[in-house]
Amino acid sequence: MNKPFRLDEHRRRPQPPLAPPPDRYFEQLPMRVMQRVQATNPAPAATWGWLSALSAPLRTALASAVVLGGFAASFLLSPEATIQPVASTSLAQVPREELVQYLMASEQRVTLSDLAELPAAQNLPTDTYLHASPDELQEVLDGQPSEETYL
Amino acid sequence: MEDQEILIRFRDPAARNVAFNQLVRKYQSKVYWHVRKMVIDHDDADDLTQDVFIKVWNHLENFRQDASLYTWIYRIATNECLSFLSSKRRKFFLPLNDVGAELTAKIEADESLAGDVVELKLQKAILRLPDKQRLVFNLRYYDEMPYEQMAEVTGTSVGALKASYHHAAKKIEQYINDESITD
Repeated sequence: MNKPFRLDEHRRRPQPPLAPPPDRYFEQLPMRVMQRVQATNPAPAATWGWLSALSAPLRTALASAVVLGGFAASFLLSPEATIQPVASTSLAQVPREELVQYLMASEQRVTLSDLAELPAAQNLPTDTYLHASPDELQEVLDGQPSEETYL
Repeated sequence: MEDQEILIRFRDPAARNVAFNQLVRKYQSKVYWHVRKMVIDHDDADDLTQDVFIKVWNHLENFRQDASLYTWIYRIATNECLSFLSSKRRKFFLPLNDVGAELTAKIEADESLAGDVVELKLQKAILRLPDKQRLVFNLRYYDEMPYEQMAEVTGTSVGALKASYHHAAKKIEQYINDESITD
């Protein structure tokens, strides 16, 4: 009868008897590992190298700050954001004499009938900048030369 | 070059590549054979050995030296092996015994074992062990690693490792004796 197998009585090999790796395998392995390391970790550009030194949360916070800053800057610098003065407010600041002079001198071809047909009951644009009653207007217009003279 | 010197030089960007090259040369054989004993096939062992050193490169800067560099690299290699075998089962929906059978077929095809019947039986018995128990057996039986160091590598207590090795040895003896009766 065969003697039962006992592991501690068996001649132990330093390695399991597997076929050795190919010739020069261990000479080439460091170079292959380095090639893979370089491929997976390309050298960062010098200008942005400091970014890689930051921790991930810091990089995220920095990116968020840049995005929010961009939004804020674009909002503040956009032309739409500047407050446009209301047209009627601007016109109210112009002296009445200058307005009349402008209307008389320009090529607007304003006639007495144009002004006379404006309904007096409405809050007219002219009210906001001329600040004149219909009677005052009529008086000023009557004092102007006749239509035929300046047309 | 001593481990401490390798670590110091690795932290210097100008000397990093040279230091890492020295590290690979120092540990490549141990890592390769540790992996090879687990996966048997040379091509798989080659891929995994490279993966181990890529991970070492990626994490060496944060290595806190709680354990020795050798133990730390062994732990990475161990985790890579166990993940590889586990993913292999998941990928091909293989039960435990089928992976063991595949590895056994590779052992039987290995010419190094031709004619050594007892050794072939021993290798087949080892391959029937569950992965983690086989790992413990390899570390103790072939590498003769102290249990304390094995505990650092595997993250298991010394007592549990001793029990695991004892049970593995008994299973192996039982398998070989049963095979001998059948023969």
